[in-house]
Amino acid sequence: MTDKILHLPPDLDLFASERPRLDNALTRRIGADPENLERGLAQLVLTVVELLRQLMERQALRRIDAGGLTPEQEERLGQTFLELSRRMDELKSEFGLDDEDLNLNLGPLGNLL
Amino acid sequence: MIELYAIARHPGPPLPDLAQLRAVPSNGLAALCGPAADEGETTEEALWRHEEIVEALMLDRDLLPVRYGTRLADEQAAADAVAERRGELLAALEHVRGAVELSLRVRARSPGRAPELHALRSLARDQVERPGRDEHELLRAAYLVDRDAVERFSEEVARLQDANPELALLLTGPWPPYSFSQR
Repeated sequence: MTDKILHLPPDLDLFASERPRLDNALTRRIGADPENLERGLAQLVLTVVELLRQLMERQALRRIDAGGLTPEQEERLGQTFLELSRRMDELKSEFGLDDEDLNLNLGPLGNLL
Repeated sequence: MIELYAIARHPGPPLPDLAQLRAVPSNGLAALCGPAADEGETTEEALWRHEEIVEALMLDRDLLPVRYGTRLADEQAAADAVAERRGELLAALEHVRGAVELSLRVRARSPGRAPELHALRSLARDQVERPGRDEHELLRAAYLVDRDAVERFSEEVARLQDANPELALLLTGPWPPYSFSQR
């Protein structure tokens, strides 16, 4: 879903978490050695998953706010989001990424209105 | 149980071959839905799938996206739900006709003001602009933009970026018109 990005600011760090760090994610993504490449791809995939997770969470929360869900549905959604978070953590540790790595990309997308 | 994905005009283009999609017609409108997954099967894949389906439908028709997890007993219930809000839905569909949602966020290193947005607004049919949630976020906005104006809108954002190098503008989309579906 990176094709969802229509304009990327030159200063991406502003969309990362407040901690200023980060080498250039694009460079990393096209890094020459295969290990880097694989890691870059994983990062891309995780970012997309995270984006969608946040999108769905927000929609679900709106529904809960609007009283559109039964307690059972709320419970189930809560469980789902826990499950998603846990799965994300597994993937991240598998690929040696931390939240900061993901934030670079998902920070902006995660906050879609 | 059936799961709702979107509301659209009826008849519309053929439905994509996904999720056993069906159009439940109701007087010029249709609820686009498919069989609901079993209870308790709300998984990561299911969430993905929902967005994928809405976006596939969005490719060749106007629609009002329905939130994930909207389930109804059967097609009759879907038709009733649409009939009940017919006027509202028609007005909302008219509002988003031929348009998509673009999301813009503006951040800055130091607190300040959002850039002049007049040029962007003039390219959009509608907008929802909200202040940022922290001092470095100057704007969170959604714009309803004609499909064929998306490129111009992006160019305008790039221009705005050039004119305001101290800011970081991030534009994403096209999204289903999440912010413009309730009228």
